[in-house]
Amino acid sequence: MTAILRTESERLLRGTLLLTGLLVVLSVFFLVVFPSIQDEAALFEEVYPEYILALLGVEELHTIEGFLGGYIFPFVWVLLAGIYFAYVSAGMISRDVRTRRMDLTLSSAVSRESVVLQKIAALWVPLVALSLALLGTLLLGVSLLGESVNLIALAMVHVLGVPYLLVCAGIGIVFSVVLDRVETAQAAALGLVFVLWLVDGLAQLNPDFEWVGTVTPSRYYDPTAILVHEEYALLDAGLLLVGFLALLSLATAYFVRRDL
Amino acid sequence: MSSQTAAHETEPTADTATIRLDGLTKQYGDVMANDAVSFAVEPGEIFGYLGPNGAGKTTTIRLLLGLLKPTAGTATVLGADIRHRRALTRAKANVGYLPDTLGFEERLTGREVLEYFARLRGDERRDELLELFRPPLDKPVETYSHGNRRMLGIVQAFMHDPDLVIMDEPTSGLDPLKQDRLHLFLEDERDAGTTIFFSSHVLSEVQRICDRVGIIRDGELVALETIEELLERGGKDVRVQLAGPVDPDQFVTAEMIDVELVDRTARFTYTGEAIELLEHLVQYDVTDIDIGDPQLDEVFKHYYGTDSQETG
Repeated sequence: MTAILRTESERLLRGTLLLTGLLVVLSVFFLVVFPSIQDEAALFEEVYPEYILALLGVEELHTIEGFLGGYIFPFVWVLLAGIYFAYVSAGMISRDVRTRRMDLTLSSAVSRESVVLQKIAALWVPLVALSLALLGTLLLGVSLLGESVNLIALAMVHVLGVPYLLVCAGIGIVFSVVLDRVETAQAAALGLVFVLWLVDGLAQLNPDFEWVGTVTPSRYYDPTAILVHEEYALLDAGLLLVGFLALLSLATAYFVRRDL
Repeated sequence: MSSQTAAHETEPTADTATIRLDGLTKQYGDVMANDAVSFAVEPGEIFGYLGPNGAGKTTTIRLLLGLLKPTAGTATVLGADIRHRRALTRAKANVGYLPDTLGFEERLTGREVLEYFARLRGDERRDELLELFRPPLDKPVETYSHGNRRMLGIVQAFMHDPDLVIMDEPTSGLDPLKQDRLHLFLEDERDAGTTIFFSSHVLSEVQRICDRVGIIRDGELVALETIEELLERGGKDVRVQLAGPVDPDQFVTAEMIDVELVDRTARFTYTGEAIELLEHLVQYDVTDIDIGDPQLDEVFKHYYGTDSQETG
């Protein structure tokens, strides 16, 4: 029984293409400005004490690895892609319930658990498309700039980003089953992911409040560490996966009990 | 279904009922959408579920499909208790559903929509159904008229050859010709052994095709009859043409309801015995008389009182 997975995957195709195109263009813009800020970045790093740079998550900004990890990934992957995954998941159940499509789907011999799981599984489409497109763009861009980057590290920054995006999707799917209005669910999911990203960033600025950031998913995904230091925090990625599964279980448990 | 015997058909028992409601109750705050509704739908019949808009018909249907959870009571659908999700999910392989609001993926074409349901449930009867009901398959559903949507809905409800089809206001939006086609089709399906649960607020169609009818008002089942019983109970529709004016106080008897006396014409529904009516009428100078079966609308009015026109 993969009818829902198939239809949902096809449904995600258009949005995925749009988002992928957008993020590729954004990444290209970033790469284009890299040579011109490279010198300033080196100056910047000399002027500011090291701990401030570390807190900003900015390291080795004058290198291509530092630039990718400190600029492109936090923005393109953590913020924009995160928001997209939350937004699109938040519409998955709520829209079908709202438009009564869910009634027809559930009049078949398919369980509500299966519906939720197949819908979430359809996120393979944006995950694969975004990863491949961004990987290709960065590889090409980096070589055009005459730089080189560790291919394994670049692959890992994508792979370890997947659990993070899944957590964003988990946030979305919880809102999708709990809230009745599609727009409300999507706004709530999008808003929460943005706020969590903001909280993580702000918490890192102040050592006294750094602990606040431990509840944010972006704390467990550090592109700079992966690209600059080739540190692959598998445990953190595992924690994100556990968080995703918890959110997914919560959403499923709620959805099978609620009235439609 | 093949093990069904003649004995079962004449004397249905608890085990053979296709749908059985047992004190089914759904409460929203203070509102009883369904208030201890109990009845059974037997295999191979067209059961009409009649009531004005807002009476609770759709609530019952959504409870039967497991979309809502009952506040109290329960029901079985093809033997599966609606409170047991897994059993009900399995049973739904043999259920077709035509909802009142048809939620299709708007961007997809009719063909793609059917493809989706085919993967979900099967489609052994798709081609045959598409010869009877012909929605424009290559156009996106968002461009469909109300009638085309309904036809697409009918195809998806029957294409996996279910034993039970639950239809919520199935003829709404269909032109009279297509309504007739649907009615004929449903009778054929019934004769082929399919059980049809048919909700409607349109009495004439229920009168035409249903074998039995349950009437629901304000969430309560107020009557459960065969169509014949219902018509009998409803009395006769009488129109009398008189030679001259009469005194209404004398003319109107207790058995006459919904009396309209205009000039020399009297129209009323007569609920008593036919012989009494004739004995009463011979006292007057009657020039013409017309006695016929009432429309179910008339019968309906008695259950719902005077405001049935607004709510129906």
